[in-house]
Amino acid sequence: MGLFSKLFQGPEIDQAKSDANRKKMRALFNQVVENGDAYQLIFGFTEDVSRFNYGLVRGSKSKIGNLIVGWDEAAETIVAVPTVPDLSGCGDPVYYRRSEIHKAYRNKYPTDAFIIYPDRKGYIGINAYDWLEDESLYVYVSQEEELKAFTEFFMTKFKTK
Amino acid sequence: MSWGQIGAVLIALVVVFIVGHLWFHIVEGVLGGLKRLFSRKKEPPAWHPLPPDADNADKEETKHV
Repeated sequence: MGLFSKLFQGPEIDQAKSDANRKKMRALFNQVVENGDAYQLIFGFTEDVSRFNYGLVRGSKSKIGNLIVGWDEAAETIVAVPTVPDLSGCGDPVYYRRSEIHKAYRNKYPTDAFIIYPDRKGYIGINAYDWLEDESLYVYVSQEEELKAFTEFFMTKFKTK
Repeated sequence: MSWGQIGAVLIALVVVFIVGHLWFHIVEGVLGGLKRLFSRKKEPPAWHPLPPDADNADKEETKHV
């Protein structure tokens, strides 16, 4: 009985690992973003799917880009900082201020993503989940509450339509 | 269909699979090489490593647990 109930529970979250990664995310974010503590943080990722046709073989490839996403409710600003799944480092931050962007909305199809157009030319699609198990592709962090808070902020204060 | 024929079909499928994979990696390699050749002059994007104290704090915490 105990064994079966464990089997049906599915994978368990390693809370210690998740908490350690949350601290690393904060350290990286505060290192590159001025007044970083004003932002709440969530892990997100972008997925770039491209089709290829090499004659004999054809198909599609997808590239995952990990992001530390910070949001400041008062300033109505979202900051995306590129990183890697082991959080060994990060790139330069990109700021999306509501007053400066072209548009922002939540997409439901083909994936549930937060879409931001900084201008008419390009966009970023931020995917976020409460937990992703694959540590080789994604940052290992449990973030149910943070995801709720980010979704609430995006839908009520940041989206433009 | 005899066992020999079934085996031949399976071997043919394996050969198609292997040739497809080889072809994919050859084309990817050539395209990757061309991209590197043309983007050599571009500066790599800025990268900030995790501060050592943040990394050590994490290890210390794990030790205590």
